[in-house]
Amino acid sequence: MTIRPNVPMMKGATAALLLSSVASGALAQDAIRVISHRQPALEYYTQQMVEALPEGRVNVELMPIDKELELASITMSSESDAIDVLYLTDSSFKRFAANGWLEPIDDLWEKYSDEYDLDDFPQSVIDAVSYDGSIYAMPILTNTELFFYRKDLLDEAGIEPPETMDDYMAAASEMDSARRAGTIMSLKPVDAALNEAHWYMNAIGDGWFDEDWKPIFNNEAGVAAITRLKEMSEYAPRGFTAHANDESTINLQQGLATMGLQWFTRAAAMDNPEQSRVVDQIDWVAPPGGGARVANDGFAISAFSSGDREEMFKMMAEAASKESMQEGAKYAMPPRLSVLENAELAEQFRWYPAARAALESGKAFPAMPDFNDVGEIVTRHILRAVTGEAEVKEALDQAAAETEELLAGRGYYD
Amino acid sequence: MVRWQRGLWLFFLPSFGLLALVLLWPLGYAIYLSFFDYYLGSGERTFVGLANYADLLTEARLWNSMWTTILIAFGSVGVEFVVGFALALALYRLNRSAKVFSVLLFLPHIVTPVVAALFLKWMLASNWGFVDATLLTFNIEPPDWLGSPVWAKVSVILADAWVFTPLIMMVLYAALQGLDTSLIEAAQIDGAGSWSTLRHVIVPALIPAIIFVISIRLMDVFRFFDLIYVLTGGGPGTATETITIYTYQLGFRMLEVGKASALGVITLIVVAALLLTINRGLNKAYRGGDQ
Repeated sequence: MTIRPNVPMMKGATAALLLSSVASGALAQDAIRVISHRQPALEYYTQQMVEALPEGRVNVELMPIDKELELASITMSSESDAIDVLYLTDSSFKRFAANGWLEPIDDLWEKYSDEYDLDDFPQSVIDAVSYDGSIYAMPILTNTELFFYRKDLLDEAGIEPPETMDDYMAAASEMDSARRAGTIMSLKPVDAALNEAHWYMNAIGDGWFDEDWKPIFNNEAGVAAITRLKEMSEYAPRGFTAHANDESTINLQQGLATMGLQWFTRAAAMDNPEQSRVVDQIDWVAPPGGGARVANDGFAISAFSSGDREEMFKMMAEAASKESMQEGAKYAMPPRLSVLENAELAEQFRWYPAARAALESGKAFPAMPDFNDVGEIVTRHILRAVTGEAEVKEALDQAAAETEELLAGRGYYD
Repeated sequence: MVRWQRGLWLFFLPSFGLLALVLLWPLGYAIYLSFFDYYLGSGERTFVGLANYADLLTEARLWNSMWTTILIAFGSVGVEFVVGFALALALYRLNRSAKVFSVLLFLPHIVTPVVAALFLKWMLASNWGFVDATLLTFNIEPPDWLGSPVWAKVSVILADAWVFTPLIMMVLYAALQGLDTSLIEAAQIDGAGSWSTLRHVIVPALIPAIIFVISIRLMDVFRFFDLIYVLTGGGPGTATETITIYTYQLGFRMLEVGKASALGVITLIVVAALLLTINRGLNKAYRGGDQ
């Protein structure tokens, strides 16, 4: 027996959950409500959206990515119009688009292509924000993970920046001390842990899935990858299992860790004298072994928004304009060709050469709408292995079995 | 029933209506949903009978989270009861300043649990947190409070105890105020020491309050969510994943609403059975001691 859910009933059931978060929106009913992950680049781009429309028209709320996705999932699944525009990573975007929760914007893209020079976005970026042949999001940043390291300390120890995972382990082991960890490690579930595991799984393992979406992360190479991750955790700061990007950034900025994987968007913060004790002491290379995460993220319009979609599109396009991205280049790698090819950027921002190399060696998450849910399963079991709750092989086998069950239930093997 | 009492049942209707709206309707709806395979993203649900229950009851994760819940629940309530009772006795013994101390000791309970958890999270943060920084100043290597499976459980238990010990303290302190002091005086005249007086006079007299406070706290702690969610998120791995955290993961992260509803129903049955058993046990002990 298959039933279409009673949408008004669902709305009622989720009303209480949304009440607190909607309260601010209710104060200014006509305002466009934008929700986004909080990080320097997105603080900048959401501010551009606020400035694109008259004062009071745009109401932005910034929060950690897991909270944002949770709020968005609850809101969209109840078909509520409480959110108008939302920031989505490439992996979460596919799930939202597949669920029918996002508004396709092909017509507006075509209409405003000349005005906002939208052909300036490379096709690969447009593909990344498209699903099933339709464009769903305005690309806002290309993000890649870089390998951050303390140049002063490595020079002093006569250690070259690592090129392979073995070099990385040797360097972290050499630099590890009671007061300064050999490496940062961000294993807070789900997003941060999934990013870290993605790198190991590509650099040492064979990736996540075969061509039929069957898990391969529990094969011999996958077990070796997570075993290495567990070994590397010996050199990580205490509390690494609860660390996400914020905690790892602080550890680097405060000189409490020597090296490790972190996003491009955190590079500028290393040279900010108001926050950092290591100004000019950090340098960057592409992550050793390659395969670290590359992401194309953007802003999308909710399919249930009662706002004016043309106005919202223009607001997003203003934030993604050439001028805006030229300015925003210090926070994140802009996806516009004209800005990326600007030679001045490399001179102005020290981390750009490493970022270009990381883009070439990096890898996006598997192109499946349910990868975040897979990530919830996989990171839980990887953490069981890393903390000694289970053996690596046993944990990965169980993760693979649960993943297969999940994907079978979602029709991947039909 | 006398004539004037005949229409009194009508006064029962508003409160029953409210209960039905906020308690029975969601409960009934959750039970209904638990019979469906319902992934929120798919937009449709399929009747599967008891399959969600069968799936859950054969899952190792459910039993792990159940044991974690029991461990954390009894650990927290145990610590809270011992410390709360000791504080209540200390306050009872104080001739002066008892009110000032009771207010000060009650402060952690006034703070919202989420705020308390955020505060504790920063206190326990590695390296730069207050606790770590203080210990490191004295060259003491602190444990990984929230990152090691064992210490994460301990931290969660202590965090809950920090917030809820004052409640137990206040209830028992209030009960002590009603204690017949002549019983204590009689025991002392008969030569009973402090321990004997406590064991044979004070504790039996406080049994009703003890049953009440332990039942209330156990009911509460089985629904324990906010502190764990903020402090550890159920991790590392599944070390602090209680049954409510697992329900939340299923419902709000995986959007598996049918399965999450089934887990909610299982939790309700298990907690109700457990509390009934504990209540009966304590009541039996009380009556046995009374005879």
